[in-house]
Amino acid sequence: MGLILGLANGIGAVNAALLMLGRWLGAACLGLMVVVILTQVFFRYVMDNALPWPEEASRFLMLWSTGLMAPTAFRRGGFVAIDMLVRLFPNGLATVLSIVMLSISIAVLWVALGIGWSETTGIGGRFALDSLRVPASLDLSVWAKVPKAAMMSAMLVGVVLLLLVAIELVLRNLCILTGRLHRLNEIPETIILGSGAE
Amino acid sequence: MILSLFLPLFLVFLVLGLPVVFGLLAAPGILLWMNGQERDLVLLYRNVFEGMNSFPLMAIPFFMLAGELMNRGGISLRIVGFAQAMVGHFRGGLAQVNVVDSMLFAGISGSAVADVSALGSIIIPQMEKKGYPRPFAAAITAASAIIGPIIPPSGIMIIYAYVMGESVAALFLAGIVPGILIGVALMITITLMANRYNLPQAMPRATWREAGAAGAAAFWPLLTPVLLMGGILTGVFTPTEAAAVTVGYSFIISLFVLKTLTLHDVPGVLIRAGLTSSVVMLLVGAAMAFKTVAALAHTPELLASTLLSLTDNPLLLLLLVNLLLFIVGMFLDAGPAIIILGPILAPIFTQLGVDPVHFAIVMVVNLTVGLLTPPMGLVLFATSAVSGLRVEVIARAVLPFLAVEFLVILLITYIPALSLTLPRLAGFLN
Repeated sequence: MGLILGLANGIGAVNAALLMLGRWLGAACLGLMVVVILTQVFFRYVMDNALPWPEEASRFLMLWSTGLMAPTAFRRGGFVAIDMLVRLFPNGLATVLSIVMLSISIAVLWVALGIGWSETTGIGGRFALDSLRVPASLDLSVWAKVPKAAMMSAMLVGVVLLLLVAIELVLRNLCILTGRLHRLNEIPETIILGSGAE
Repeated sequence: MILSLFLPLFLVFLVLGLPVVFGLLAAPGILLWMNGQERDLVLLYRNVFEGMNSFPLMAIPFFMLAGELMNRGGISLRIVGFAQAMVGHFRGGLAQVNVVDSMLFAGISGSAVADVSALGSIIIPQMEKKGYPRPFAAAITAASAIIGPIIPPSGIMIIYAYVMGESVAALFLAGIVPGILIGVALMITITLMANRYNLPQAMPRATWREAGAAGAAAFWPLLTPVLLMGGILTGVFTPTEAAAVTVGYSFIISLFVLKTLTLHDVPGVLIRAGLTSSVVMLLVGAAMAFKTVAALAHTPELLASTLLSLTDNPLLLLLLVNLLLFIVGMFLDAGPAIIILGPILAPIFTQLGVDPVHFAIVMVVNLTVGLLTPPMGLVLFATSAVSGLRVEVIARAVLPFLAVEFLVILLITYIPALSLTLPRLAGFLN
C-alpha cells in the first residue's frame, strides 16, 4: 500500500509541474488568440488589407490552449459529472464507483492515445496547414509551411496529460480506500466549471 | 441494432458519475467496438478534433475572458450598485436588485455560471444581512443567473448557431425580449411573494445624485453590450471578432479607465478563462462525435418518427418538445444537449412551419432553465459553491421561480413574435 501512496504522490508531483507549465502556455495561447484576432480586425479596417493567416493561427492557438489546460480542469474536479447517486452511497462504495468510472475514462483515453498517435504521425499529419508559415531562414527570406501534425499534436498532448491525471486520480482513490487520505498531497482548489458556455 | 443502445448506456454512465465528456465518448465507443466497427472509432476521434477546430466557436473563450476581465476589474460591484439605485426601493428591494443586476450582467457575460460566481458572492451576503433567508437569496440568484445566456452575448447560442448554421446575430437579437421577460416575471414573483413571506422592507429610494453617481460608475461596463451588438449588427465585426474586440475593450477600461485591474492580475484572468473554455471545447468536440454515432444509428429518424406518430399538430408537438427538453436539461448540460438534439429536433419543426430562429430560442431558453434542475444543474452547483448551501436546499427553494420560468417558456413558445420581432426589425429575418 505504501507503494501506491508513493506512486500517487509521485505522479501527483509530476502532474502538478507539467500542468503548471500547461496552464501558463495555455494562458499565453489564449492571450495570443486575442492579439491575432485584433490584428486581423486592425488590418482589415485600418490598413484595408485582409491578412490570410489570423483565422488559422487563432484556431491553432485555441486547440493548444484546450489541450494544455483541460487536464488541469479535470484534475481539479472541473469536469462536470452527476454526483447525486454517488453521494447516497457509503464512502467505501462511492470510492469504488469512482475508481470504476475513472477506469472507464482511462480506457477511453488509452484508445484515443493510440488513434491520436497514428493520426498525428500518419499521412493526415503530413499535409500542410493552409496559411500558416514559419521562418525557415535567419534572414526571414524563406518561410516553410506548417504541417497539420503541429495542430493535431495539441489533442494528442491533451490526451496524454488527461491520461496521467486519470491515473493519478485512480491511485488517490485507492489510497482513500485504504484510509491514507491524510497522507496524500493536496490538489489545490476545486473549481466549478461546467460546460462553461452555460 | 446494438448501436441504438448508445443513448441508454450514456445515461447509465452519467447517473453513475462518469464525467459527461467521457460518457459522450465511452458509450458510443464501447458499442462500436462490440459491433465490430473498430474502424469507426477513428471517426469518433476525428470528430472530436474537427468539432473543436472551429473559428465561430472561438467567440466562447473570448466572451469568458471578457467576463473574467470585467469581474476582476470590480465591474460586478458597480453593476450591483447601479441596480440598487434603480430598484432597491421596491418591496423585496435586494431580491429585485439581484434580478436586475443579472439582466445587466447578461449583456456583458454569456454565461449563467459566470453570473452566479461574479454576482452571487456579492449579493447573497448582502441579502442575508438585510434579513433574507439564505436559501431564498441563493434561489433568486440562481433563478436570475440563467438570464445570462439568454440576453446576448450567449455561449449557448454560439454553439447552436455553429451546429445548425443559423446566424449568431439573429439568435442574439431574438434572445433579448425573452431574457427581459424572464427578468420581469421574476420581479413580479418577488413582489407577490414579498407580502406573503414578509420579505424585508425596501431600502430608501436613491436620490437623483446617488442614482447619477451609480450610473456613472457603471457607465463604461454597461457600454459593452452596445459595442458588441452594434459591431455585429452593423456588420463591422463577425461575432468572433466582436468577442475579441470586447476583450480588448474590457482590458482597456479595467486597466486604464477604471484602474481596477493591474497587469499582475492578467495571467490569473487568462488562466481562469482558459480553464473554463477548455472544458467547453472538449465537451463540444465530444458532443460532435456523439452526434455522428447518433446519425449512424439512425437516431434522428427514429426520434422524429416517434414524435410525429404522437401528433402532427405543431402546437402540441411544441409542448411535447418542451417537456422533453426540460427532462433532458435535468441530465445534460445545455451545450451538449443542443449539439445532440438540435439537428434531430429542429428540422421536424421547421418542416411543420416553425421559424428556425424561434425554435432555436425555445430550445436555448428551455435548456438554460434546465441548468436549475437537478441532478445536472450547473447553476445549482455554482450557487451551492458560492452560498455554502447544499444543492438540494437550493433546488427546493428555487421551485417557485422555476415554475414561473416554465410559464415564460410556454409564452415564448406560443408567441413567436416575442423572439422574432427584433431580428425581423433588424432585417435578419423575413
